[in-house]
Formats: sequence, C-alpha cells, structure tokens
Amino acid sequence: MSAADNKQSSYISDKEVSFKFDGKKYVGYEGDTIASALLRNNVKLVARSFKYHRPRGIYTCGIEEPNGIVQILNEHNEPNTRATVKKIYEGIRVSSQNRWPSLNIDIGSINNLLSPMFSAGFYYKTFMGPKGFWKRIYEPVIRRTAGLGKPPKEFRSKSIHQNHNADIVIVGGGLSGLIAARKLIDTQYDVLILEQDSFLGGVLRNLNKVKKINNKKPIEWIKETEKLINASKNIKILKNSLVTSYNFTNHLIALEDKCVGKKIDKNKPELTLHKIRTTHTILANGHIERFISFRNNDLPGVMLASSFEKYIYRYGVVPETNPVIFTNNSSTGTLLKSLVDLGHKPAAYVDARNKNKIGSKLLKYLEKNNIPFYINSEVEGCDGNKKVKTISIRISRNKTIKVKSSMLCISGGLNPDIHLFTQSKGLVKWDDKLLAFKPDVPFQNTITLGSVSGNYNYEKTIEEINNKLSFLKAKNIKLNIELNGSNNFNIQELWETKHEKKSNWSKSFIDLHNDVTTKDLKQAVKEGFDRIEHLKRFTTNSMGTDQGKISSINSLGIVSKILKKKISEVGTTTYRPPYAPLSFSAIAGRNTYEFYDPERKTPIHNWHIDNKAVFEDVGQWKRPWYFKKFEMESMHLAVQRESEQTRKTAGILDGSTLGKIEIKGKDALEFMNLMYTNAFTKMKPMTSRYALMLGEDGMIKDDGIVCKFNDKHFIVTTTSGGAPKVLADMEEYLQTEWPHLQVYVNSITEQFSTFNISGPKSRDIVSKVFTDVDFSNENFPFMTFKVFDYMDTEVRVMRASFTGELGYEIYITPNKALELWKKIFHFGKAYDLVPYGTETMHLLRAEKGYVVIGQETDGTVTPLDLNFNWMIGKKKKDFIGKRSLTRSDTSRDDRKQLVGIIPLDKSEFIEEGQHVVECERLPKRITTPVEYLGHVSSSYHSPNLNHCIAMAMIKGGNKLMGSKLFVSSTYGTKNIPVEVVSPVFIDPENKRLVS
Amino acid sequence: MILINCPYCGERDQSEFSSGGEAHVARPENSDHLNDKDWGQYVFYRDNPKGIFYERWVHTHGCRKWFNAVRNTSTDEILKIYKLGENPPSKESFSNTLKTPSGEPKVGSGNFTVKK
Repeated sequence: MSAADNKQSSYISDKEVSFKFDGKKYVGYEGDTIASALLRNNVKLVARSFKYHRPRGIYTCGIEEPNGIVQILNEHNEPNTRATVKKIYEGIRVSSQNRWPSLNIDIGSINNLLSPMFSAGFYYKTFMGPKGFWKRIYEPVIRRTAGLGKPPKEFRSKSIHQNHNADIVIVGGGLSGLIAARKLIDTQYDVLILEQDSFLGGVLRNLNKVKKINNKKPIEWIKETEKLINASKNIKILKNSLVTSYNFTNHLIALEDKCVGKKIDKNKPELTLHKIRTTHTILANGHIERFISFRNNDLPGVMLASSFEKYIYRYGVVPETNPVIFTNNSSTGTLLKSLVDLGHKPAAYVDARNKNKIGSKLLKYLEKNNIPFYINSEVEGCDGNKKVKTISIRISRNKTIKVKSSMLCISGGLNPDIHLFTQSKGLVKWDDKLLAFKPDVPFQNTITLGSVSGNYNYEKTIEEINNKLSFLKAKNIKLNIELNGSNNFNIQELWETKHEKKSNWSKSFIDLHNDVTTKDLKQAVKEGFDRIEHLKRFTTNSMGTDQGKISSINSLGIVSKILKKKISEVGTTTYRPPYAPLSFSAIAGRNTYEFYDPERKTPIHNWHIDNKAVFEDVGQWKRPWYFKKFEMESMHLAVQRESEQTRKTAGILDGSTLGKIEIKGKDALEFMNLMYTNAFTKMKPMTSRYALMLGEDGMIKDDGIVCKFNDKHFIVTTTSGGAPKVLADMEEYLQTEWPHLQVYVNSITEQFSTFNISGPKSRDIVSKVFTDVDFSNENFPFMTFKVFDYMDTEVRVMRASFTGELGYEIYITPNKALELWKKIFHFGKAYDLVPYGTETMHLLRAEKGYVVIGQETDGTVTPLDLNFNWMIGKKKKDFIGKRSLTRSDTSRDDRKQLVGIIPLDKSEFIEEGQHVVECERLPKRITTPVEYLGHVSSSYHSPNLNHCIAMAMIKGGNKLMGSKLFVSSTYGTKNIPVEVVSPVFIDPENKRLVS
Repeated sequence: MILINCPYCGERDQSEFSSGGEAHVARPENSDHLNDKDWGQYVFYRDNPKGIFYERWVHTHGCRKWFNAVRNTSTDEILKIYKLGENPPSKESFSNTLKTPSGEPKVGSGNFTVKK
C-alpha cells in the first residue's frame, strides 16, 4: 500500500530531477510539481495548519490547494507557494512553513488542544485585557504561531508589464477553449488564448473520461489543434498565464510565470503581467471539485478524487494503489476504472446515494471486480498518526465499520469556476440539479462555455459552443466525442457527515486553509451572524489564500441547513480579484527602486556632491540640505555656520528647483489679476512682487514672485513642489472658466537655473561677476529685475531676498549654469562666500518671519491668518478665493493666526509640532482634554540672536502679543514658558533688505 | 481600469487622465453679491448620484485638454464624451441604456450576485 508509477502516462518525461524538501534529498521527474514528486516519494506530511498546527498533506492537484503551501528557499525565499502548482527543477530547495522546531514535531500543535480558546471570532473575545497586553504579548505571540511563510528579505523585482488588444480572449485551453479556438482559426478576429498550465488540453489530460475525439486519441487531437492554431495568423496562445482579474470594460489581467520548471535567470524577468483589453471574453475555465466535511477530514492522505486521478494521468504517479473512494456523485466512476485498468484495487467504494442514483452499470462493475462497496453509506471519519490509517464507514444508522487504507479520495460534487464570471459582475443562479451556482446573465460581453457554464456533458459541448458563438463570423465545426462510461452526474446533496466526538483532537473542517470547523459555523450562526458576508468575516471561512475554492459552497450548504433556507436565499459571498494570489512584484513591475519615481537633479548637482552636500528630497528633486565643511561636522553645526556666514558676508543657494511659469498673451494682465490676490495693474514693468495664490475656499495654495515684463508678459515662480499643480490650475481656469482670455502658460522650470545669493557682500560679488551691470541701490532697487547678455546667453537678475539680507536671484540657461556658479565662487572667495542648503534657507527666512507654504500653512490658512492683508488687491473686482475671505468662518477673529514665540529662559529649545497651551504643567493623568491654543510650525536655534526662535499658529494670536503662554515639551509634564512676539525677529525695519 | 475616448487624442487608458468632478458648475460672476450660503454652495457642494453623472476630465498625461463626459457611476461606463462649450446631452437620452451590475438596485448599494 504505497505510491506507484503510472508508466502509461505520456505527459511526464523520465529524466530524473533531484530536489530538497526540509533539507532531505528526493528524486522526481522533469515535469513534476513539488506535490507530485513528494507523493511519488510517499511523503504525506507536507505542512502544518494555520491555527491549530495540525499535520496536513496534499489535498488537490492545482491552484485550489488549501494545505500544501511551501517556501522556496532558493528563489528569494519566496513564501506561500502552492506545492501543487510549482514545478521542480534540479536543485530547487523547498521547506515547509509555520512549524517549529520541525514539521514532524511542532510545538504549536498545542493550540489544537486549546482549541476551545480559538473558536470563531476568538480574537474579538479572548484577548480583551489587561490593558497593554495586546500590543506587548498577545499580538507578537499570535503573529509568531499563526500564519504563513516568512517574507523574502532581499528582493528585487524583475517582472514586466505587457499590454494586449484583442477581439476575443479565450480563458482556458481545455476542451471547450480549444473547440472555440478551432472555430476561430483564420477568421477576421484577433484571438488570445490564456492557459494557466504549461500545456493545452485541461480536463482531457486529467482523466480518462474522453476516449476519442473524431476517432483520435485526446492527446493527438490536442496536438493537432495546437498545430492548427500555431499555423493560423490570428490566434496567439499564452501558456503559464493565469487570469487573475476580470474588470470593467472587458479588461483582464493575466500573470505569466516565465520560469516554470527551471531555475530563475537573474538577468531575465520572472513574471509578466499581461493587461488585456478585449471586445468579447470567452470563459472556458472549467470547474473545481469540492470536498465533504467529516471527522478529521484534514488528515494527510485525504485527497479530492479528481485530483487523485489528475496525478495518475498528468504526472504518472498513483499516490496510493488501494485507496478508499467516498462520493455523492458519479464523477468518481472514471477514477475507479483508472485504478482497475492499472491493476490496482480500491480498498472500498463508499457512495452516499441509493441504488437507482448510482445506476446498475457501476454496481455491476464493482461486483465484477470484487471491490468492497457500501451504498447509502458515508465516511464518519478517519484516524491515524499524522496520516490516514483507518477509515470509519457508517453503513447504516447504528453500524460503523473500519477499513484500513492510507488514502481516502473524496468528491462532494463539482463547482463551475464562476470566480471570473462574477468578478465581471455577471449574475449567477443556483442549479438544483447540479447543486452548484452557475452563470446566468452576463454583465459584459462574456460567454461561458463548457463546465464553467454548468454543462458537464462532454457530448453536448460542441452543440453548446456552436450555438453560443453563432453571433460571430466563424465556421461551424463537427466533432464526435466518444466517452468511457456514462455521462450521468446524479449528485445527491451531502455537505457534512454526522460524526461521533472521539477526543478533543477530532475536528470536522469546513475551511482547511484557515482552520475553520463546521462547529465554528454553527456557533457563529447561533451568535447571530446569519448573513453569509458577516459569517465569513467572523469565522474567517474562505478567507485564506485559496479563497475557499474547494469549500465555500459547502459552507453555504451547511448554513442553509441550519437556517432552514434554500441555498439560493442564503446567497454567495462576493468574488473579488485576484483569482489566485499574485506577488506584489508582479504588480510593481519595473516601477521599483530608482525606477519608482524619477530623480530630478540640478545642473550643479555634481558640484554639490564634491562639496560634501547632504541631500534632501523635495518632491522629485534632490536638493542640498546642508554642506559639511569637514567629514565629522554635524547638521546643527553646519547650519549654524552657514547662517552666520551668510548674514556676515554672503551665502549662495542653488534654487534651480524653484518652479517657473511663463505667462504671455494679450490678456495676461487680466489673467494674473484673477489668479493671484495681488493687484498687478499699477505695477511698473521690470519690477517684481511677492504674490499669493488661493483656492476658491480662500485658503493659501501657493506663493511666489511675479515678475512683470509688461502687461502681456509675466514670469511667476512657485514653490519647488507646487509647480505642476499651479500650472495645471492655470490651464484649468483658462480652458474652463475664462476661455475668452488670450493667454498662454508654459513651464520654464528646467529652462532656467536659479541661484539665490544673499548677504551684505552679495552686491560686491555680483558686481565683479557681471561687470557691465550697474548694481547700485539707485539703479537696481529692491524688487526689480534686469535682463542682459552674458557668456553668449541671456541672463536675468532679480533683486529679491528670502533671507532678509540684500540679495539677488540669478537666472541662466542650465548648460551655462555650472560655469557661472564656479565663476561666482571664484569672485566670492575674497568675501568667504558660503554655499548653503535648504535647512539654512529655512532658518534664515524664519529669523526674518517669512513663511513657507506647507510649513506654516496646511490648507486651512487664509492670507488674513498670516497678516497678509497688504497682499490682497481689495479694489479688484474678482480673484480666485476673494469671496471666501469674507465668509463667516474666515473672518472670525479667533482663527489660528501666525505669531512668533521665544522661550522666556533663553537656554530652552522649543520643538516643532508641539502644542501651545495656557497651563504651566500637564496633569500626570489626562482625564479631561487640555485646552489647546495652537501648534509650533517652525522652530530653530538662531545663531544670530543666540536663542531659540519659533513660529506658531495660535487661536486669536494677534491679540495675544506680549502675553505669556506655555509650549509642551518632549520630556515630562512640565511645559516651557514662552512669550508671544512678532514673527519678525531680525531687521523689522527692512534696513538690510533695501540697503 | 476604464478606457476614455479623449475627443482630441482618441481612446486612452484611464491612468492618463484626471477627473475634475462635477461638470456644468459655473463660477459665479458677481460673487460679491452672493450670500455665504449661495457662495458655499458653489465652493463646497457637489452632486454624487448613483447613475448618470456629468463630469469633467482632463487628459493630464496627453494633450492636457479638458472635456466633459457622462458616466454611469454604478458601472463606470462612459456614455458620452463632448468638448467644452458643446451642449450637454439630455439625461433622458441615456435612460434606456442604463444598467447596474449584478442586479444591484438603482438606488443604494449591495452585493446581489445571486438571481432570486
């Protein structure tokens, strides 16, 4: 009584392949899956279950597998791989999951005896207290013992995406799919066939039910069909491609495994995600067998009957020569015959049906071959240590007999695989004859063919396909299918057999993957979860990685019996994509690491690197954060040094990332007046102005400097991150609200590099660089700009400042930028010109009380809240957000307003993001909310004042000037006493700015 | 992922587009004369119907043009696409073609995948 080879199988090669499972070496054949190779080696125990750590074996022969989930050690430690799908190759290393210390002795199986604790919804009930235990004890322990494989540590996805446009997509290359394809050969349609296996044929390769097709052996007919398809110009076959989702507008996603049965090539993509658009979808994806619940129906050795047969034909392995067969329908007839034909004899045949339903033909066959059979009987349960040893068969109400065998093949009926059909939003209907849901009304252009449509009669398949595809311009074909045995299905309803409780260890499972028992279902219904969607979530039934493919209909059957309702009234849960698990790397495709998001670098980038810049990400931009003077210099020291030097002599910032938009056209002035709060009509040409852009809700969206060449030509700068949005908003208003305005907007961010030089010596430096330009205060006053030729290109220099010092912004074409930058340093050396980064920029602007959009503001701040009343063109008839500034909410005087704060004890430091409160101390235990006035938005240690300066947004801040408040700290309950002051800490008279 | 037929470029993947919300909400011209409630209605309130919805789209990663679309929000089916300034098609012209997925009711939601 052990496994045997089926030498007649022509589908597997005889080339030997060695592999390792849990460190032990085994030999299989090329073409074997991990599961078939283990069965060949009589390995029954392959996994431990999710919750109770019960021993588990291979249950199925395909994607529906709930038990045999393994980790592939040599493929980035890939977890949760289906042993029934993954093909072996020389040297593959496989390990079992969720067990410790070993698969054979698993400490976690203690959970099985504690199972009363882990019943349905246990995590909602059991681990309630004491406080803090969940996070520190329960969760870590549960995470360790319950679960799946370990995630890969180092991993780089090499999967790719591919797009397809087809007229017709055929999902499944089995009998129906191939017939449909043959009809479409050399027609006008572009056809794509998607097959999950590495070969065509599907059901024809699984069992010996079909004897001949057009007087040919099935395998020959498959080969002939494939040849015809390959010779045609309009049909393409994608093998190893599993359709995982079927979305709106006939959009399908299929995942192709490029490395089936071979080692991963590190230089080639492992997976291809096919994105397919089609006009018509033909679903010919077949059916999946379901199981029956009985006592210990999870023991290694229990297997679905059709899967058992699949192993015989596809992989040439008979997992057990003398199994017991338990069924409630006629589909197991072919397995019976296959075993007999191979010279093996089933230990027993158990059928829940009566004589009439079974049919005299089969009964005679059983008698003739001397196979013990029991009709009107059921399997009560099975026993054994980590594998099936004896099977208890209830042959009448009170009589149970025992049969010895190491395997039990069960069939509880066939479910049309409606997963994709319902994903496409088609309606399904309960069929009382098949005892299964089958497709009813499609929602999209979907046609179902063969067993997925509920047609299990192979002889009628050709008629069905000719009928359903008659709307296409395709030829009618004739096909003569000869069967082995009868075509009856004759199923009888049976979801669960009555079992005697033998011990705490006895369980009757409804979901093998998530360890849900039939008892859990009953308990959940008792607790009020009588809606199937609630029940599913409460018990986690059919929520495993197999999505209950072999068991979810059974749970409906059991629940319908408890509720005394029809299954059609109970309904199904919703089928959602993906059909089977797919790795995140497939979804990510090439969009990983450096390809995830582009990096934008300024023309000065390499110079920054050479000068020890530390970079900060601003949007997609890499900006220098600060420059290290020597290797060990800390950020704090660097920023203090840069700030001090800038105020002392001069500093320079690479501002190339600043967004720049050019606005031109007859109506440019009117457009600018509408987009920004400021008034631009009276503004003189060749001057600039700090401007604000609002949303219609009156909140500040962006700021920048507007340069006016003339009424028909403006350039605006935006924040580094805000440029795309500002441009898009301008385009939107121009197209949708003011199409009558003749205005053109264009991004010139990357057409100009920008340097901000500031400090008392900046005039001396720029005068030496641009010797032809008069930089005197009279001829180049604050907020004006000049355009001139320099180095054979056009240079624009604007006198503006974001530091409060005398400063200039220099704009030049990027390919001359580095040269100019170096030139500035050449002349700047005499003045100790220092390069500074964004952190110093922030510090310097805070000293001057300048705000940063996105730091002081957060989308709830109006210009009035920042005391920017002077920037609002009140006489203008309209601008975006104008009306909102007088809404009852925006004109409240207790809104959060911008203030400066300084600690009373100058040695203390205030942290950004801390709360501003009125109380000196926070209570040790907070029982009622502490009244909160606002938050600290910016805080720095000012090297020029030698104490902490901070900006805060606090309620009614304008009225609180000079008052004493407190700011919470990161340590303890004692708050820091502070004084509310003006946010301008340095040079409030603007003497430096206009000097 | 739906396909959108840009009136300037043709059918493209949804990922190239951005939605601009409800269409035909004109910006009030004399906002100074509006009371808070009416102005608030323009700024903050938009329809969110199940069924026919007139909305604005922009071909962000394409021609960057704005246009209007009529979409059945319960199926994501785009019933009509028309350029800015063109007259919107009447609601009645779609009532015959309007459907809901999985036998869902016309109002409200639900997962009624089984035909009763």
